[in-house]
Amino acid sequence: MTSSPAHSSPAPPAGATRATGLASRWSDPRLLGRAVITIAALALMAFPLLSDDAYYQNMIILSLVFAIAASGLNIIMGYAGYVSLGQGAFIGLGGYTIGVLATRIEGPSPWVWVPVAGVVTMIVAIGLGLVSLRSSGASFVIITVAFLFLTSVIAINWKSLTNGTSGLTLPLPSWDDDIMNWPFYYALVLILALQIGLSWWIRRTKLGMGLIAIRGDETKAATIGINLPVDKIIGFAASSIFVGMAGAVYGYYLTFIDPRGMFGILLSVQVVLSVLIGGSGTLWGPVVGAFMIEPLNEIANNNFGGGNVRLYLFGGLLMLIVIWLPRGVLPAIEGLWERRRTAGRAGLVGARVDTTGSLSGLAISDRVAPSGVDDARPLLRLDGLSKRFGGIQAVDDCTFDVVAGSITGLIGPNGSGKTTVFNLIDNTIVPDRGEITFDGERIERLPSWSRAHRGLGRTFQITRLFGDMTVLENVVAPQRSFSWTQLGHIAVSGREARMAEDLLDFVGMRAFRDQKARALSYGQQKLVELAQILMLDPKLILLDEPAGGINPVLIERMAEMIRELNSHGTTFLIVEHNMPFVLDLCPRVHVLSRGSTMASGTPAEIRSDPAVIDAYLGDDFDVETEGEGAR
Amino acid sequence: MLEFLQYLVLGLLVGGVYALVASGLSLVFGVMRIINIAHGAFLILGAFLTYTLWSGPGIDPLLSILIVAPATFALGWALYKVTIEPVRTAPMASTVLLTFGLALVIEATMGVIWGNNATSIRPPYGSDSFSIGSFYMPKAQVFGGLVAIAVLVALGLVLTRTWLGRAIRASAANPTGAELVGIKVSSVSALVFGLGTAAACTGGAIVGILYSFVPGTHYTWIARLLAVVVLGGLGSLNGAILGAILFGLAETFTSAYVSAAWATAFPYLIVFAVLLIRPQGLLGARQREDASAL
Repeated sequence: MTSSPAHSSPAPPAGATRATGLASRWSDPRLLGRAVITIAALALMAFPLLSDDAYYQNMIILSLVFAIAASGLNIIMGYAGYVSLGQGAFIGLGGYTIGVLATRIEGPSPWVWVPVAGVVTMIVAIGLGLVSLRSSGASFVIITVAFLFLTSVIAINWKSLTNGTSGLTLPLPSWDDDIMNWPFYYALVLILALQIGLSWWIRRTKLGMGLIAIRGDETKAATIGINLPVDKIIGFAASSIFVGMAGAVYGYYLTFIDPRGMFGILLSVQVVLSVLIGGSGTLWGPVVGAFMIEPLNEIANNNFGGGNVRLYLFGGLLMLIVIWLPRGVLPAIEGLWERRRTAGRAGLVGARVDTTGSLSGLAISDRVAPSGVDDARPLLRLDGLSKRFGGIQAVDDCTFDVVAGSITGLIGPNGSGKTTVFNLIDNTIVPDRGEITFDGERIERLPSWSRAHRGLGRTFQITRLFGDMTVLENVVAPQRSFSWTQLGHIAVSGREARMAEDLLDFVGMRAFRDQKARALSYGQQKLVELAQILMLDPKLILLDEPAGGINPVLIERMAEMIRELNSHGTTFLIVEHNMPFVLDLCPRVHVLSRGSTMASGTPAEIRSDPAVIDAYLGDDFDVETEGEGAR
Repeated sequence: MLEFLQYLVLGLLVGGVYALVASGLSLVFGVMRIINIAHGAFLILGAFLTYTLWSGPGIDPLLSILIVAPATFALGWALYKVTIEPVRTAPMASTVLLTFGLALVIEATMGVIWGNNATSIRPPYGSDSFSIGSFYMPKAQVFGGLVAIAVLVALGLVLTRTWLGRAIRASAANPTGAELVGIKVSSVSALVFGLGTAAACTGGAIVGILYSFVPGTHYTWIARLLAVVVLGGLGSLNGAILGAILFGLAETFTSAYVSAAWATAFPYLIVFAVLLIRPQGLLGARQREDASAL
C-alpha cells in the first residue's frame, strides 16, 4: 500500500464525507449525551401523568431532592475542591425554615416560605464559606462535620423554636387528593432545572474558572489574580440557595420535621455519595448519581429493613468508590470513549519544544511602555522587610529597590531568604513588619490577587501549574483585574484564547496546548508558567530560578525571552544560582545574606566585592570557567 | 472548693482516656496524613469486644485489654492493607471519605453482632467510690484513668526507645527520606494503623466501664476526638495529649457548671474556634508549601 494516511489524502467524494460525518456525529459523546438527557427530562416530566404509583413517585421526589443537593454540592466540592459533609444540613435548614414559619404564621400558603428557606440557608452557607477562607482540605471536612452536628444539637436543644426531638408538624396540603404529589414533584423539577442551569452557567464563567483554579492550587490561584474569598463565598451561596428551597419542599412534602430526619449524617453521606458516584466536577454526574443512590436506599429501607443494611450500603459504596472509581461513573465512561477514539495516536509529550516565536506580533501589553531603565523611579521598593519562622529570622530588615525597566538579579547562598522575599512580595507569606511599595503604592497589606491585578507576576521555584488543566487552560486561567460583573463573563473570550496562543507561541509551547500540564517535563512547565503570568500583563515579573533544572539550550532561550520582554518595558527581578546567567543578564544585582541585603551593584562590582566572595561566590569563582565547566 | 477539686481530678482522669485514644488518631495522621474518621468506631468496637469478654467468660474489663489490644492491632493492620494502602497517595479529602465509609461499615457490623440497645459493662468496682472525708472519686474512673495513662506511657516508650519508634517518627517527618535510608514506609504505616486501632480499642475498653454505648455512639466520640487533635495540632502527639487533658477538663466543668445538654455542642464549638483562630492548633507547626515536601 502506498496510500498516505486518511487525513492527508485528497478530499474524498461528497457522499463519503457525509457518511463519515454522520457516523462521527453519532459517536460524539456530547451529542449522544444530549439526546439521553432530553429523553430523561421528558420521561421525568411525564411520569406523574402516566403513573400514579405512589412508591415510585415518592422515590423520584426524594431522588430530586438529592439531585438538587448533589448538584449544589458539586459547585463547591466538584469545582472548588472543598469536600463537605455538611450539605445535608442545608436540606435540614430549608425544612426547618418552612417548619418554623408555617407553624407560627397562619394565613399564607406554606409555599411562600420556600424562597425564604432558600435565602436563610444561603446566609448560613455564606457563614460556613467564611470559615472556609481559613481552612482547607481535611480541616474543612472536619469543620463541615462539626457544622452538621452543631445544627443538630441546636435543633434538639432550642426547644422554644424547634420543639426539640418531638419535631414540628406542618399543616397538610390543601389541594385536591387527585393531584396529591404533583405540586411537590413539579416544584422540585423546577428547582432542579434552576440548580443545573446555575451550575452550568458558573462552569463557563470566570467565576467557574477561578473555582477550578482554587481546586488545583489555592495559593497559586491567588498569585494569578483570582479573588479567593469572593469566588469561594459566591460558590457557597450558589451551592446552597436551591438546596434550601428543595429542603423546604421536602419538609412540606413530609409534613413532619425532626432533628433526626433533617440533620442526620446519612443525609449528607448520601449527597456526597451521589456527587462521587456520578462524577465530581461534571455537570450531570451528581444528578445521575442521586438517581442511582436513592433507589438503592429505598430498596435497602423497604426490602431489607433499613438500619444496618443502609449503613452497609452507604459505607461500602463510599469505600468502593474512593478505592476503585475515584472519578465517578460519567468521567469513567467518557474516559473509555476517549481512549477508544484516540487509540493509536502518539502523545505529544515527548516532542521537542518549538523555536520561540517573536513578541513583535503580540500586543500583550497595554500598560507598560518601553521606557528604558529609569534610575529615578523604583518600581518596587522593599523597606525593612522582616519575617521570622519560629527561631529562624528568615528575612531580616531587608531593603532594596528594583528600578523600573531593569532586569535585577537577587542572589545569595541557600537559605539566605530569597524565596521568602518573593513570598513576602506576592503575599504568599505575610511579613512581620516592613514596607513594600510597588509602582508608588504601598502594597504590603494587599492580598495576592490585588497585587497581581496591579501588575505583579511571579513564577515558583518548583513550578506550580494546575496539573489537571491543559496547557492552554493554564495560560488563560489568570485574571488580570477584578470586578463583580466580570465574574459572570465567559471563562475564556476569543481574544483571551488568541492571546494565550500567541504567548504559548512566544515561549515555544504552542504544540503542547492541549496536553495536561502534569504530563510536561519540568523545563516545559517553566516555560508554560512564564506564559501564564504574562497573561496578567505584569509590570514586574518575579522569576524564581528560571534556569534551575533545565538544559543549556533552554537556559539560553530563557535569557533571550527575558531580554525581549524587557525591551518591551517589563521589569524583572530574578532569583538564580546560575551565576553566569545572572551576571550576564542583570545589569543590577542584590546579594542577600542571612535575610538582609549585604551588597548591591553591577555584576562587576559584585564579582569583586570581598564580602560577597567570602559569603557566597567563593575565592575561586570565575564566571568563564564556571560557565564552561558546570553547564 | 472541694467540689471544684473533685471535678478537676475527674477531668484529668477523663483527659487521660481521651489522650490515649487521641494519640492513636494523631499518630495515624502524622505518618499517613489520613484523618481516620473510623477511629471513634474502633473505640466502640473495643467497648463491645470487652463487653463480650466480660459478659461471657467473665474477664475483668481492664484485664481484657491484654486480649483486646493485640487482636485489634491485627485487625487494624489488616484493614490498612485492604482498604487504605490502595489509596495512600490520594488527596486527603478522599481518604477522609474512605475512613468515613469504614466507620459506617463497622457501625453496621456492630449493630448486626451486638444489636442497637444501650450496653454497659458493670464490673464489681463499677459503683464503688474512694472517699476521703467528703471527697468522692468513683473507682471505675480512677482505675480507668490510671490504666489509660499507663498504656499511653508504654506507647510513648515504644515511640522513643525502639527501632520501630524511630522508623515511625522518621516516616512521619519525611517519608521519602525514610525510604531512602531503608525504612519501608508502607510497612510502617500498616503497623502504625494497627497501633492506632489498638489505642482506640483499648480506650474503648476503659470507656465501656464509664459510660453506656450503642454502635451509633461513635459519632459523638469521633467529634470529641477530632476536637482534641485539632485543638492540640494535627499530627502532634504531645499536642494530642495536651489537647485531651484540656478538653477533658473543659468538658467536665461545662457539664458540671453550665448544662449537660449544651455540653454536647462543646466539641463542635472548639473545632470551629481552633480552626478559625489558630488552624495549626496549639502545638502544631505550619508547613512550607512552596518547596518540595520536606
